[in-house]
Amino acid sequence: MEVIVWSAWVGGLAMGMFVIFHFWLMGKPAGCSTGYGNFCGLLCKNIAYFRTGDYKTINNSKLWFLLGIPLGGFLSALQSPEAWHFTFNMGMYDAILPQSDAGKAIWLIFGGALLGFGARLAGACTTGHALVGGAMLNPPSLLAGGIFFMSAFLTTQLLFGT
Amino acid sequence: MLATVKSISPKARNNFFGLLMGVAFGFFMSHAGATTYDFHAKMFLFEDFQLMIVIGVAVMVAMVGVSIMKRFHVTAIATGEEVDFVKKPYQKGLMVGALLFGIGWGMTASCPGTIPAMMGEGKVAGIFAFLGLLVGTTAYGILQSFIQLQNQPPTSR
Repeated sequence: MEVIVWSAWVGGLAMGMFVIFHFWLMGKPAGCSTGYGNFCGLLCKNIAYFRTGDYKTINNSKLWFLLGIPLGGFLSALQSPEAWHFTFNMGMYDAILPQSDAGKAIWLIFGGALLGFGARLAGACTTGHALVGGAMLNPPSLLAGGIFFMSAFLTTQLLFGT
Repeated sequence: MLATVKSISPKARNNFFGLLMGVAFGFFMSHAGATTYDFHAKMFLFEDFQLMIVIGVAVMVAMVGVSIMKRFHVTAIATGEEVDFVKKPYQKGLMVGALLFGIGWGMTASCPGTIPAMMGEGKVAGIFAFLGLLVGTTAYGILQSFIQLQNQPPTSR
C-alpha cells in the first residue's frame, strides 16, 4: 500500500511533538520494543523472565501502546487514494530479497528475530534509544543509536552490492 | 460524562492513554515515511534523506521540549506525578545487541515501532517481521530465565 508521505520536516516535527506529548501524558519516555516482552509474556505463560521486573504486570500501557500502532497505520492507509488492500510488495527490496514468497517470509522472520533479540539485549529500539534517548542526550542511548545506524548502513550496502 | 470518566480505574485509564498514544505513533510514523521500505534503502545508500531529516528534526524538537518540561517540573496528566525523564542505563550486551539490531534493520527495512504500523497498512511483510520479533523476544526471555535459574543456589530448586 502506498501511503501519503508528508514532507520530512513536517514528519519530524510531528514525531518530536509526539515524544514531548508522550512525556506529558504518560509521565515516562515513549518506547516500543518493551511492549513485545509483554506480548510474549501473554503468549507464553511459563517463561519466568516475562513474569519479573518490567513485565511484572503484563497488562499495562506499554502493551496497549503496541496494540494501538496498527490502528494508526490503518488510519494513515485509509487516507491513501487507493483502496486498502494486502500487498507483499517491498519496493527496491524485491530485487535483492529471495524471489519466492516462502523465501522472502523466512528472510523477514529471521530479520525480525534479530530485531527482537537485539532490541532486548541493547535495552531499547530505535524509538527508545535513538529518538527519545537522543533527545535526552543519554550516552548509552547515543552509543546504541550510533551502532544501530552503522550496522544497518553496512548491511544495506552489502545487500545492494554497492 | 465527567463522572463516568472519573469512575474508570486509574489503571484502565492509563492503558487507554497508552492505546491512544500508540494510534498517534503509528499514524505519524506512517505519514513520516518510516513505514515505506524504499526510504530505508535510500537513506543507507545516500540517495534520499527523508528519514534522516525526520529523525534529526524529531530529536531536536523533542530536546527543546524535554528541557522546557524539566525546567518547569511538569506533572504527568495520567498520574499527576512529576514527569520522570528516566534514562536507559548501559547494560551488558548493549553493543552486541545494537549490532544484531542493525543487521535486522538492514534486512527488513523496518524496526519494532514501524512493523505494527506496516501491518495496519496491509503490508504482508510486516506480519512475517512481527512473527520474527516475537521469536527473537521470546528467545531472549528464555535465555534470561535460564541464566536466572543457573544463578540460584541449588538448594532452592
